[in-house]
Amino acid sequence: MRTPDQQRRSRLGTRLAALSLVLLAAGLAAGSDGWSMRELWEMLQHGDAALIVGQIRAPRTLGAWLAGALLGLSGAVAQGLFRNPLADPYLLGSASGASLAVVLVLAASSLTGHGIALATAGAVARLGLVGAAFAGALLGISLTLVLARGAEQTTRLLLAGVVVGVLLGAASDLVTSAAPDALRGKQAFMLGSTGFLSWSACAVLAAGLLIALPPAWRLARALDALTLGEDAARSLGLSLARLRAALVGALALAIGVAVSQTGLIAFVGLVSPHLVRRFAPAPHGYTVLASAATGGTLLLAADVLARSLIAPQEVPVGVLTALLGGAYLLWLLHRRRIA
Amino acid sequence: MSGAMRRWACAIVLCALAASSGAALAQPIVVRDDRGIDVALAAPPQRIVSLLPSLTESVCALDACARLVGVDRFSNWPGSVRALPQLGGLEDAQVERVVALKPDLVLAAPSARAIERFEQLGLKVLVLESRDRADVKRTLNTLARVLGAAAQAAAVWSRIERDERLAVERVPAHWRGRHVYFEVDATPYAAGASSFIGETLAQLGLVNIVPNELGPFPKLNPEFVVRAQPDLVIAQHTNLAEMPRRPGWTGLRALRSGSTCGFEPAAYELLIRPGPRMGEAAQSLAACLAALPAPAGARR
Amino acid sequence: MSAVVPLRADSLGVSLGSTRALDDVSIEFEPGWTAIVGPNGAGKSTLLRALAGLQGLRSGGVHLHGQALPAWTDRERATRIAWLGQQAETTGELTVREVVQLGRLPHHGLFGAPTARDESVVDAAMHETECSAWQTRRLHELSGGERQRVLIARALAVDAGILLLDEPTTHLDPPHQIALVQLLRRRAAAGVTVVSVLHDLALALLADRLIVLERGRLRAVGHSDDPALHGALIAVFGGAIRIERVGARWVPVANLER
Repeated sequence: MRTPDQQRRSRLGTRLAALSLVLLAAGLAAGSDGWSMRELWEMLQHGDAALIVGQIRAPRTLGAWLAGALLGLSGAVAQGLFRNPLADPYLLGSASGASLAVVLVLAASSLTGHGIALATAGAVARLGLVGAAFAGALLGISLTLVLARGAEQTTRLLLAGVVVGVLLGAASDLVTSAAPDALRGKQAFMLGSTGFLSWSACAVLAAGLLIALPPAWRLARALDALTLGEDAARSLGLSLARLRAALVGALALAIGVAVSQTGLIAFVGLVSPHLVRRFAPAPHGYTVLASAATGGTLLLAADVLARSLIAPQEVPVGVLTALLGGAYLLWLLHRRRIA
Repeated sequence: MSGAMRRWACAIVLCALAASSGAALAQPIVVRDDRGIDVALAAPPQRIVSLLPSLTESVCALDACARLVGVDRFSNWPGSVRALPQLGGLEDAQVERVVALKPDLVLAAPSARAIERFEQLGLKVLVLESRDRADVKRTLNTLARVLGAAAQAAAVWSRIERDERLAVERVPAHWRGRHVYFEVDATPYAAGASSFIGETLAQLGLVNIVPNELGPFPKLNPEFVVRAQPDLVIAQHTNLAEMPRRPGWTGLRALRSGSTCGFEPAAYELLIRPGPRMGEAAQSLAACLAALPAPAGARR
Repeated sequence: MSAVVPLRADSLGVSLGSTRALDDVSIEFEPGWTAIVGPNGAGKSTLLRALAGLQGLRSGGVHLHGQALPAWTDRERATRIAWLGQQAETTGELTVREVVQLGRLPHHGLFGAPTARDESVVDAAMHETECSAWQTRRLHELSGGERQRVLIARALAVDAGILLLDEPTTHLDPPHQIALVQLLRRRAAAGVTVVSVLHDLALALLADRLIVLERGRLRAVGHSDDPALHGALIAVFGGAIRIERVGARWVPVANLER
């Protein structure tokens, strides 16, 4: 006999799967003429869908789900690790590291005149924004770990993350004041976009998910033990330093991959675990997986809407994730849906 | 009339003439700026600070370059202004340095944060902004009145129009009526038909794939550009270089056939800056078009 | 030669910031119920943490079954010592049963599956603390006292030979305090080494043995009807109490005529 809890969990799972499939299909019909199934059908019939649907819409739609899943996964891990429902996966210096790296690449050409060798600037520009964002996110998190002298204490880790965020943000501002052309590019990056996700981007996102998800899921029981407090968890035989290092590593990889492909998209990582908790409170093993699915669905929905609302213009996807996720959460809180 | 009376009459006439011309000299210049505020100046300003590149260029086009004592960090034309003190930008104008230069007029855009501060400190601020062609003409006229160089404005404008005419003539006939995509930013943001650069492109006979309804700088779905299949793509050369890597953009005929105009930052800036060098901008575009091979395919 | 005691503290020294939380504390713990008492700031919780291996030591060491604590692996230590701290802030969405199940973590490990034996231990622990009825309710929905009983059940579920409890009676109403005392006595009688920090002297005097701490130092160790121990207690609390015999028990009484 299934407990009510188990029923809620399987219901959420089925609904997320169904919603994801529907949205994936809907994403193929959302284009520069708005949302139109009829248009999609015509394109498929006339055989000129390969470019528009196959090369542009399909990878973008799938990529949005994958990126959202990475963000949702990171959010669940961050909130469990820091025992704080306001924890956001962009803590620990990942966001500020990525945006500093992006700014440096954008400013590389204009900084050449200020003493940086031409060869270095050229190499940096070749690395591209994608590589820079990934490397920047990982370096930001590494800097945080060094500053906190390992993952020993959670509060020290959080504090170091905040400090690194502020420092790298200041460095980024310094660079943009010396090279103002980089400011526009940085702002676009901060806004986040699913606009140019290609099949190779999807492959990278999928790889990131396949690598980060299993350790996060396996170690989820440690997050359960952590809910009793750090001392209690240690008294149960858990090596917190090693666990934290492993979880932060998975977090870093997930965030690094997501940020490198889509820039910074706010709110998905923060709100996905909350939505799961509202619908199906559960131990972390379930929450981590369900957060990934919720994040994917949320970002996918936002992307489809972004393309359909004011076509051929696009609403910034970060605005829609905040509206969708935030408004829904507010509504749930208002209805006081307690498990 | 006796000799004494004649001398008196001359004196009175001379005094009257002097009085009337003195009265003319004493009349203040009053112009209405873009805030709708009337700015009054006792005499044409001799020490001018400009916080907007297009206004710097306009002042210099009106032959008053020597009267500039300070500019913003983005002003870079003509070359002589680079030697002037750089006073920050619209968001972070260096108030103290500006005041220390003792300008009798400060030129700024409406978004400048320091306007109120300058006025509190007793400086005269003239707020002007040019967003499209009509604005440029109006701004030139306003500045000319302020500088006491009314005749110059007409000369500058006719030179702009002459440059534009030459540019239009230089555009090969096979480019007329062709569709163009002008990218402002890699997000992608495009320049629509209603933007300033859109007006210039229209003058040269090109049709913008972004219609008026979408506004001057819409953020587009990349799919739109691919489906619109523009005959010509114009962008900064770095953006242009990475366009083929965007998913589906190898399908753009213009990219495949090289019907593109890529501009270095300085040349690109010239295109998007609504100022007295509009004519040069048109010529720069025309030169690019003239150098390109004829576009493939029929006109739409 | 004395037999190896389950738990031994050897000249423990702990510094918290600039203060000496523990200063040269040496005690042997045998099976039975030992209560640690003392005024505020005496170092009682610090001593319990040190015994559980959760506290960094400046000097000295703790020996578990004769072997120094750091020589044991984390899991081996966790199966032998169960520790319950003062009610820390719990987070998350776990149900009562899921919380108590965490007590079996040292046995099946982070990646192992719980066995039938694990489940029966969990059932027994919940039964002993009378929280079986709320198995499916979430921890954060319970009252303070109910939550405390669940956390105690979690510690019991470890089924360890050494049970360290810091202020276990917090939030518990008198009937449940009595029930806890009886539970601890049962465990002690079955051979478990029970060590509890208690601020309630009346309950502490029900234990087999008392340890009196003051400002990080060991003031007295003795059986609960040892007059010398009573004297130490009175001295440590500044004469604010008297220890009187009521029936078969020793009871602290406020000394108002001081």
